[in-house]
Amino acid sequence: MTTRFRRALDNVTRVRGVRGAMLVAGDDGLIVAESLMEGVRGNAVAALAASLHKRFRQSMDAGAAGAPHFLHLQGDGGTLIVVPAPDGILVVAVGDPNMNVGLVRLEMLRAAEGLT
Amino acid sequence: MASDIKAMTAELARDPSSLVFLELGEALRRVGQLDAASRVLVSGLEQHPDLIGGRDLYARVLVDKGEYARAAQVWGTVLERDARHVGAHKGLGFVSFRGGDLDGALEHLELALAADPTDQSVISALRTVRDAAQELQAEVAPTDAGEDPLFAGLEGAEQGLLLVDDRGRVLGGRLLDRGGREVSEAVAAYLAGAAQEADRTARMLGLGEWRWIVAEGPEANVYVTPPTPETLLLILRDQSVPSGRLAMLAERAGAVARAWLEGQRL
Amino acid sequence: MTQTRAVEAWTLRPLERFVAEAGARLTLLMTPAGQVLAQHGFTRAVDVMSAAALGAAIVASSGELATMLRQKQFSALNHQGVEHGIFLGAFDTPRGRLLALVVYGPDSSVGLVQLFFEEFVTELAAAAPAEERGKAVLAADFERELNESLATLFGQ
Repeated sequence: MTTRFRRALDNVTRVRGVRGAMLVAGDDGLIVAESLMEGVRGNAVAALAASLHKRFRQSMDAGAAGAPHFLHLQGDGGTLIVVPAPDGILVVAVGDPNMNVGLVRLEMLRAAEGLT
Repeated sequence: MASDIKAMTAELARDPSSLVFLELGEALRRVGQLDAASRVLVSGLEQHPDLIGGRDLYARVLVDKGEYARAAQVWGTVLERDARHVGAHKGLGFVSFRGGDLDGALEHLELALAADPTDQSVISALRTVRDAAQELQAEVAPTDAGEDPLFAGLEGAEQGLLLVDDRGRVLGGRLLDRGGREVSEAVAAYLAGAAQEADRTARMLGLGEWRWIVAEGPEANVYVTPPTPETLLLILRDQSVPSGRLAMLAERAGAVARAWLEGQRL
Repeated sequence: MTQTRAVEAWTLRPLERFVAEAGARLTLLMTPAGQVLAQHGFTRAVDVMSAAALGAAIVASSGELATMLRQKQFSALNHQGVEHGIFLGAFDTPRGRLLALVVYGPDSSVGLVQLFFEEFVTELAAAAPAEERGKAVLAADFERELNESLATLFGQ
């Protein structure tokens, strides 16, 4: 993993409650870089997060709301957040249900900006 | 089957005017040798151009090959010779249905049924097409009905609240884009797939039951939640409305939707 | 309606599940010799036969390349087109080595196909009967079996 990618992900995973963060190729749903706690299935997170983002993009395009620049799925056992970065890359984070979403969001947006 | 094909091929080679080409064409079609079936039938029909059974079979081979427009042409020539030909009406009914022309499909299948009221395959096909036509009407109806009273009194009820079933059909509410254009049906169609993906993602990643999704876009923010296991509630608001407020709105609209759905069941 | 059909019944449930989860448009499950065990999405027998032969040939060619390079056999190949992608995977089961050819569209992705392919392989390995060995194949049997397979795969 390149230093640039590692730094981008480390700032996200440092937030309390985050189980892992990764960069994903949005069209392919494949991992570009990852920093995950043990037990988190990286390939599943990558494929499903990319697919979820794609489907919400279609819904929001249909409603003329534009492509989502922040997507937050809340489950009763965890949280998934997706933020698109340039060149079709997605910054993805998974974490506990009560993690500090505001801080994670901030770090993810910074990570996405850092990839330009 | 293979030996029959060989024997029929030999017979046709001996006598190119033999009517065995019909049986051979059908046998080749059944084993999926569609190009061979097509060749046999074309040369057979050159010998017997008035054999409408041969034309009907040739059209069925064309359908198997995915050449629907050409098949429709051939069945058209059958009907020129026999306006009550059941096979041709059935075939044209299928091609029309496949092309989304439900009225055309109904017309041909009803003509086929008039020609042979005992044909079970026509009866079954007619049922399928009628069901599809009814479903289409049901889907179109809410839009035609205009304003929906489901969310009356709630903030944004006229343009930013939508209740959808798990198959992407609008149950109530209405969505308008910033230009005032109705987008309820289009959003509903995609939303069902997005919710299924949310459900699968939460399940496979160990996130438990999904409760809600917030998506922020350049033009608007969207909040989606399932008020019941079979329905989805969507709230669309401009970016000035914070996500916490969207959650409060969703709670109120969800309670209204659940009460309304309960009332529909009684 | 697009259908999933199987010559060998034990392949049907895993294939149906894989197709639904991965969003595959077309799928062929076959032996390395190109004998088709199950298919989803094909409407013409001639397409199945061609795709099976080509898929088996691609796996055989890449296997030879791997041997030449003294590498382990490739377990999966992916060709990404503008609209569609083609995924070709090989795996072992108690029934012997099998190949899967998967065509997917823009509503899926290679990531989703790979993810559910892993589950597909596990389910097939669990469901597979032991490989039949030493069975003589006569030309007449082959032709009969081929015709029966085509009839099963296309519901004729």
